[in-house]
Amino acid sequence: MTLPWGRTFLMCPPEHFGVLYEINPWMHQEVAVDLDRARAQWDGLVDVLRQAGAEVEILPPEPNHPDLVFTANAGVVNGRCFVPSRFRHPERRGEEEHYAAWFSSHGYEVAALPPTVSHEGAGDALPFGGVFLSGYRQRSDAAAHAQLSRLIGAPVRPIELADERYYHLDLTFCPLDDRRALVAPDAWDTYGRRVVEALVPEPLALTVDETAGFCANSVVVGTTVVMPACPPRVGRRLEAWGFDVVEAPVGEFQKAGGACRCLTLALDVAVGPNV
Amino acid sequence: MAFVERVEVAGHIIDSLILAKVLDVILDAGADYRIVDVEIGRTSLDPSRAVLEVAAEDDDVLARLLDDLQVHGANRVAHSDARLAVADRDGVLPEGFYSTTNLPTEVRLSGRWVEVENPEMDCGLVVLPDGRVRTEPMHRVRAGDHVVVGNDGVRVRPLSKPRGATPFEFMTSEVSSEKPKDALVAEVAGRMRQAKARGAKVLAVCGPAVVHTGAAPHLARLVRHGWVDVLFAGNGFAAHDIESNVLGTSLGVRLASGDARAEGGHSNHLRVVNEVRRRGSIAAAVADGWLTGGVMFECVTHGVPFVLGGSVRDDGPLPDVHTDVVEAADAMRALLPAVGVALMLASTLHAIATGNLLPAGVEAYCVDINQAVVTKLADRGSHQALGIVTDVGLFLHTLADHLAPE
Repeated sequence: MTLPWGRTFLMCPPEHFGVLYEINPWMHQEVAVDLDRARAQWDGLVDVLRQAGAEVEILPPEPNHPDLVFTANAGVVNGRCFVPSRFRHPERRGEEEHYAAWFSSHGYEVAALPPTVSHEGAGDALPFGGVFLSGYRQRSDAAAHAQLSRLIGAPVRPIELADERYYHLDLTFCPLDDRRALVAPDAWDTYGRRVVEALVPEPLALTVDETAGFCANSVVVGTTVVMPACPPRVGRRLEAWGFDVVEAPVGEFQKAGGACRCLTLALDVAVGPNV
Repeated sequence: MAFVERVEVAGHIIDSLILAKVLDVILDAGADYRIVDVEIGRTSLDPSRAVLEVAAEDDDVLARLLDDLQVHGANRVAHSDARLAVADRDGVLPEGFYSTTNLPTEVRLSGRWVEVENPEMDCGLVVLPDGRVRTEPMHRVRAGDHVVVGNDGVRVRPLSKPRGATPFEFMTSEVSSEKPKDALVAEVAGRMRQAKARGAKVLAVCGPAVVHTGAAPHLARLVRHGWVDVLFAGNGFAAHDIESNVLGTSLGVRLASGDARAEGGHSNHLRVVNEVRRRGSIAAAVADGWLTGGVMFECVTHGVPFVLGGSVRDDGPLPDVHTDVVEAADAMRALLPAVGVALMLASTLHAIATGNLLPAGVEAYCVDINQAVVTKLADRGSHQALGIVTDVGLFLHTLADHLAPE
């Protein structure tokens, strides 16, 4: 059965995108971003998502917030509840008010985490099997998950992200349907691997190289998997499972450490008894 | 494991294996933990919560471990200092006073945990001007004393329960009615030897049945050989011990033959009490050669301190008896430091009184022919109590043969 979410996304055009600071191992300020190319790639991703049947809503870009394009880090959406991120790095904290304002003006109930914890939104919290898996250590705090669970009314299982290159869960995990997911076990600690093994009946385990190619940072719309680039082995398996794989190259954004999933925020997630 | 902190971890800590991981992280660091409290969520949506006490050999190890644990969401439980109130009257604790247990207890003062010097149940905690903390019974509190109020900043350490095959290895309210007595007595003898070897004292709490059953000479033998350091009893035990040594009877019954009352025997104990009163004290009766044997004689001769606590129905009483019960309890308290083993010998009231005064860590052996008494004693007071249902005469005879063969 296809995922019950992933038909409506929030995205932010890359008007002010750039690598202006370095807060993950992928970012190098000396590597220039080709903004025209970035715009073209972003437009391409929007087209692919719309062709796959998704709706895309637009968050207005803001100067001085180059990473606002990565809307996956806006916060966690569950039903009509929105929990804005609390960023680990001060460089991104200015984004928080813009996300909160958009959701507030679109009729969401905005519920805030206490300022003492970090949590970087859907980038670190993906729904699967009736729970949210939530990455911690690199950007989000393990202590945040109990409070996040209370705010969104859904169980949250923290997974320790053991490799600093995969600083968000969405670089290591991608739900495909109700039984399957792309998983990058090398990026997790042993406990995290056991938790995912127990939760996902049919995982497609990515190799180290596939993970490094942002393979897991894909967007799934029904039976369409939108990937930044698809390794042949992964493509064959996905096709065998009945998925259509569409590549949407986002190389300019990968210079900042994000790909397709990072550029989108699903607005139609609903997990738990109250949504 | 001298350095201890509490941490709390909450959320979906079971399914996510976070709790398992936190426990593993603690053990991997060479530290240890005790689960103080755990609530498991009933449904998958309910969060779970665990409070752990983490103990490490040194402060640095603990500090590093606490940092590691924080990464996994296990945060130190915030402690506040204990609240103090000043007693405004002698003998009256401030309202809301912390009521003690007999477990090892610590009080947090200015961010530092201070061990309570003399754990005793049902007392208040008084902070002395030099920062030490002592338990004080209500009547000993003085106006101006700083007394701990409320539960904040006070923590007790439950005694660890060693696991093992014999009743001695899980001594909690165990009652031995169906256990081999010789083996139990041998174990008690072993425990007394261990206590003495580490410099701890042995306390004997005696009821009159010790004399009635003919066991007093065996107890006297233990005193003579240095196996009893402190003795608590009442007027009856001492009176009958003296009666049996001076007149050969206990409550008028001839101990040698078991004959029913010798003529006029019912008044024998009154006569010996009267004679001791004439002399002024048991020690004086020993000194002038009137009392020449028995448990009390051995105590006086070997300098073993004793407390005789009075009761309403006492005959006489003997001049050594504390007729003020509060004073009696204080006299008993004064002799408790360093007591490591307590033998409660066919005594209900004095044994219960003693149990109330003893810190939980003292090993208590309650010997009585009546299982109900043993159970009652074992259930009260000491957490390390073993009840032995047997005749106290047989028990003391065997014990003395183990420790003080003559």
